[in-house]
Amino acid sequence: MLFLLFQIGHDRYALDARHAVEVIPFLALKKIPQAPRGVAGLFNYRGRPIPAVDLCELALERPARELLSTRIIVVHFTDDAGSAQWLGLIAERATGTLRRDEKEFVEPGVKVGGAPYLGPVVMDAQGVIQLLHVQHLLAHNLRELLLAETRVLTHEAD
Amino acid sequence: MKKERPVSSQQSAVSREPTTAQAADYGLLTADSPIHDCWNIIGVEGNATCRELVKFIHCRNCPVYSAAGLQLLDRPLPADYRRERAAHYAQEKKITQPARLSVVIFRLAHEWLALPTNAFVEVAERRAMHSLPHRRRGLALGLVNVRGELLICASLARLLGMEEKTETPKAESRNISVLPISAFSFSRLLVASWDGQRLALPVDEVHGIQRFQKDELKDPPATVAKSTLTYTRGVFAWRDRTVGFLEADALFAALNRTLS
Repeated sequence: MLFLLFQIGHDRYALDARHAVEVIPFLALKKIPQAPRGVAGLFNYRGRPIPAVDLCELALERPARELLSTRIIVVHFTDDAGSAQWLGLIAERATGTLRRDEKEFVEPGVKVGGAPYLGPVVMDAQGVIQLLHVQHLLAHNLRELLLAETRVLTHEAD
Repeated sequence: MKKERPVSSQQSAVSREPTTAQAADYGLLTADSPIHDCWNIIGVEGNATCRELVKFIHCRNCPVYSAAGLQLLDRPLPADYRRERAAHYAQEKKITQPARLSVVIFRLAHEWLALPTNAFVEVAERRAMHSLPHRRRGLALGLVNVRGELLICASLARLLGMEEKTETPKAESRNISVLPISAFSFSRLLVASWDGQRLALPVDEVHGIQRFQKDELKDPPATVAKSTLTYTRGVFAWRDRTVGFLEADALFAALNRTLS
């Protein structure tokens, strides 16, 4: 199975490449006023408004650095309610891929209540890579807000 | 990246060899970590004493080297980069079909023609040609030596009935044993191989390999001379010209038939 690699701070994370639509540059975003922490803004992805979530902001409470290696991973997934979602994830050092069997990921033995998106881990010579569950990335209230915002924009576009 | 510190002895070279721990650092770079250019010191650009070379053969296959390359991406964004990219990704994605037809484009006198790339073995320089006695009128111009192999040099111009537009037979007979080899000449020898038969085809110029979609191939105009039409599968628009795409099967069958 193919995974996309990126970093949050100094730690490496992976997400299932089947969720990825495209990895795009760190383009300019339209800010959402009074948006909760982690929501960096909205952008026009090929005619479709997509909210962008800054993973660094979400996990480390600092914005992602403006570097060429910082990229936006456009992901699609089906949320708990069963509707299809598109989301841009701003990730630092999104420059590599990893080919591993799903079985090689093991439970870390630690669960953080506020971070249900953190999944099992895989280890290599350079350390530990943790899998990120895209569909659990947004807390319920955040998801509601982003969805509403996108709906309004799509409506205006029509 | 220049070689910064010349290695004075074998001993110091070995001590500078990156350990696994050092290699690990490259995977988890911090923005301010300096680039350790081991490829210039113990790698292929240096004295090639790195033990990893046994495994990777060349530095470009080594994870340390690719990690250092990725480090180049840890640069600040150029001015206006984010705005420009935003404008780019707001556009509809243009999906182009993969090009399916690979052809070699060449020129015979004033005509640009093309044949499938897989019909060719190489493009060689024009060279001395040995004429064949009693075979002056046919398609065979003579024999040429290509990498020690004697190949029949066949005239595409004669086959396609374009000869009157190229050289006059008189000029040709004068040049037939030694073709004019000028430093400014674009003329080449296309070495073709089709159905196990190798041939040398002199042409006036070779543009190179070009890829086309199958749907870019248009029917040849009805005014094209009948003899040419037999061997023309269609025409392509290429730059501001029209290229005749030749039917390789028919063409080589005709060549092989007349030459044998």
